[in-house]
Amino acid sequence: MSLTSFLPAPTQLSQDQLESEERARAQRSHSTALVSSRREPPPYGYRKSWVPRSLEDFGDGGAFPEIHVAQFPLEMGRKKKTSNALAVQVDAEGKIKYDAIARQGQGKDKVIFSKYTDLLPKEVLNDDAPELQKPDEEAVKELTEKTRDALMKQVSQKIAAAMPVRAADKQAPAQYIRYTPSQQGVAFNSGAKQRVIRMVEMQKDPMEPPRFKINKKIPRGPPSPPAPVMHSPSRKMTVKEQQEWKIPPCISNWKNAKGYTIPLDKRLAADGRGLQTVHINENFAKLAEALYIADRKAREAVEMRAQVEKKMAQKEKEKKEEKLRELAQMARDRRAGIKGHGGDKGGEDGEARERDEIRHDRRKERQHDRNISRAAPDKRSKLQRDQDRDVSELIALGQPNPRASSEAQYDQRLFNQSKGMDSGFAGGEDEMYNVYDQPFRRGSDMAQNIYRPTKSSDKDMYGDDLDTLMQSSKFVPDREFSGTDHGPRRDGPVQFEEDPFGLDKFLEEAKQHGGSKRPSTSRGSKDYDHDKKRRKE
Amino acid sequence: MTDIAVVESNVSVYFIFQDVQKHSVHTLVFRSLKRTHDMFVADHAKPVSLDETRYSCFVKQYAVFVLPSTSISLRVCNCRLDASRTAAGVGDIHRNAGGAERSPAPHSHSLLEGGATKNSSLVARKNPTMPKPQWHAPWKLFRVISGHLGWVRSIAVEPGNQWFVTGAGDRTIKIWDLASGKLKLSLTGHISTVRGVAVSTRSPYLFSCGEDKQVKCWDLEYNKVIRHYHGHLSAVYDLDLHPTIDVLVTCSRDATARVWDIRSKANVHTLSGHTNTVATVRCQAAEPQIITGSHDSTIRLWDLIAGKTRATLTNHKKSVRALALHPRQYTLASGSADNIKQWTFPDGNFIQNLSGHNAIINAMAVNSDGVLVSGADNGTIHLWDWRTGYNFQRIHAAVQPGSLDSESGIFACMFDHSESRLITAEADKTIKVYKEDDTATEESHPINWKPEILKRKRF
Repeated sequence: MSLTSFLPAPTQLSQDQLESEERARAQRSHSTALVSSRREPPPYGYRKSWVPRSLEDFGDGGAFPEIHVAQFPLEMGRKKKTSNALAVQVDAEGKIKYDAIARQGQGKDKVIFSKYTDLLPKEVLNDDAPELQKPDEEAVKELTEKTRDALMKQVSQKIAAAMPVRAADKQAPAQYIRYTPSQQGVAFNSGAKQRVIRMVEMQKDPMEPPRFKINKKIPRGPPSPPAPVMHSPSRKMTVKEQQEWKIPPCISNWKNAKGYTIPLDKRLAADGRGLQTVHINENFAKLAEALYIADRKAREAVEMRAQVEKKMAQKEKEKKEEKLRELAQMARDRRAGIKGHGGDKGGEDGEARERDEIRHDRRKERQHDRNISRAAPDKRSKLQRDQDRDVSELIALGQPNPRASSEAQYDQRLFNQSKGMDSGFAGGEDEMYNVYDQPFRRGSDMAQNIYRPTKSSDKDMYGDDLDTLMQSSKFVPDREFSGTDHGPRRDGPVQFEEDPFGLDKFLEEAKQHGGSKRPSTSRGSKDYDHDKKRRKE
Repeated sequence: MTDIAVVESNVSVYFIFQDVQKHSVHTLVFRSLKRTHDMFVADHAKPVSLDETRYSCFVKQYAVFVLPSTSISLRVCNCRLDASRTAAGVGDIHRNAGGAERSPAPHSHSLLEGGATKNSSLVARKNPTMPKPQWHAPWKLFRVISGHLGWVRSIAVEPGNQWFVTGAGDRTIKIWDLASGKLKLSLTGHISTVRGVAVSTRSPYLFSCGEDKQVKCWDLEYNKVIRHYHGHLSAVYDLDLHPTIDVLVTCSRDATARVWDIRSKANVHTLSGHTNTVATVRCQAAEPQIITGSHDSTIRLWDLIAGKTRATLTNHKKSVRALALHPRQYTLASGSADNIKQWTFPDGNFIQNLSGHNAIINAMAVNSDGVLVSGADNGTIHLWDWRTGYNFQRIHAAVQPGSLDSESGIFACMFDHSESRLITAEADKTIKVYKEDDTATEESHPINWKPEILKRKRF
């Protein structure tokens, strides 16, 4: 059982082996004349219908060009399915080397950590455990020397490149090498078994410029293969954590390059207004308080003063009235004194006396009215005053609606209807105002409030045919209501009362002064405003 | 056996009269035995002497239940009953490492055999032994130095421990006396924030780097800039000097670290490979000589001779902004916003996590006593015991009066060379100096160590 029986036959034979095989075959062919196991292809010229199919058909030759079939002698020329799969390797203990992938480009003694065990913490060692000790001094020194030499060489190379030209370097002396070639024979090396070679460093021309261009930029080569990552992958980010890191977009108070329209609260948000509490100085409140107190005090003072004055005025008035009363009393006494003598005699009767008293009162009233109308004609009686009031004034004064009666009041439109059921709503028209059926205060003053121009000097207003206007009977009712009272007719569209501000006087003066400054601010415009006001009914 | 029978009959009689949930006979026997034992026999203080026949079936069950949680300690107990309180050595680690790949069944068998022969070890099963953290005195603030007009970004202490240097956001470098805290010198020259300073131990040079892409070498005898190292394409965030070779390493926002020859200003190596800002760089004499931490959350250990990455540590999830090399041990700590991790050299094997400081860690420093300080962006400082990862103190110093509360953050921290003072560079423009509280004792500040056992015991 020799080893050669286990091993497959060699595919390539060296020359010696070939010769020995030839000799063996020759010997065998002498001994046995059996069919040789080696199949030879047919010789040239006899290959017409022959196709080499297996490796042995090729013999020890190559492909046959005259046979037009794809031939792969020695499996050469076949398209190999290239895969970069590594062959499975097994280490000395028989375990599969899984880190062969990590070690692909590196030398086999490079330190690469790829196992799970490299990741685990080791036992805590004592301080004097051997693997924690630094290498001893000699090793360190040796390393230092080696490093220093290597670094010096590097540095000198770099410096020499920059240094100017010097004399030619001394080459090392020639080296002699004894060499024993593998191919030996009579033909090679003229029979000698060994050769001696003299090795000399080639002379470097000191003046030679650099041979290669090094200013070209080429892309960097591939980096060394990445080291296996010896930690668990980083944890997935939860949505909550991602939200925490969200940065809101910047909204500038000055720039808006894309012209975005940003709602105001976002613009202010950037300002930080909502974040700060507004601090108001408390002196503002103090000021407001002080003002309020001062105002109150002032009002009190004014009121007191007014009261005092009123009291004074009251006293004055009372004094005056007293005087007047005295005068009146005196006058009455004088009159009564004249009549009193006559009256005292008769009238012992109770009824006659009552009648007399009533007559007396009435006479007094008439005299009183006469006196008032003589003394103050403008001061009208209460009734007259109320008649002339505008409706809004009456409401404001709280004068009762003369029509308000205790019994239930019905909308008069409900009665005497002849229209059908669907006639009430009037089609949803909301322009008309039909809440009430009767006006608010139907009184007799409607007729009075209408202005009838009189013979006043409103020529510019109403034109020349004032007379025709006056005579027109359009505005006079045909049949007057009973009990209407023709109050004081109006002199103009607006009935002026007393002139408190002296504006009439002022305007008269202005007119007299030429009216150059403001000719139009005359009574006319004032009339207009008043007219508008009073026309509101 | 008679006891058992009696108990059993009692129990069964009782159960007839009441409608209780049905248990199997096995369960009933087990429980009743246990109760009997607890009531009559058990003295919990002392270990119970065994009757092998009675407890052999127990042991089978017990061992299987106990197995998942205490495999390691049991194995330790098996080997040596008087195992040291600190954890097992390397061999055990290797055994544990390979343990998960074998099926659990053989374990129980082995334990069973072990149990049969050495029952005492199983019964006297202790809680899994956790290493006890070393007690450290708490640190307290003892000096606040103000004078800078911008954030103080970096600190370096002179090798003779006389003065220290700070670089700040006001573009100046100030030299302060360490003992008194008085300002000695102000150096101007940078155009932008000074991000890193380093004082050379082998020559009277001070190196500084800034956000203006400049790396300057100041001659301290003349207080002038004598060299510029030109080549970085973006802000330079940190620099470090090699302890034995005259070489300077700077790291920058252009995702590279560059190695400069100090004397010739030549850029010896450009260490590229990071894909994001390189935030911190450290140099040491032993392999790997350069370690960088970057904002792409990887740490790379570099081979200085070849200028290539030796190993890439990708365990962090967030940017690594701080690195600290232990002065005596061959280990490294890296700080990031998720965790602080400890690693060994030269291959960067992961040791453990120090978790608890849930903030962006800007700076770390280690003491020879094993005190690790981590300073964060929110102004908190956590002090840890290096070996066990026990956080024994948390400090949040108040900001300088006049500063906002949000202006608290630590950008750099460093122990002085006597390792008795901790100097921190802060965002409220002050430098705070801390020292150990001498009046504290182990009783006044007890260790409150509650480790997570499961985390360790699992393979």
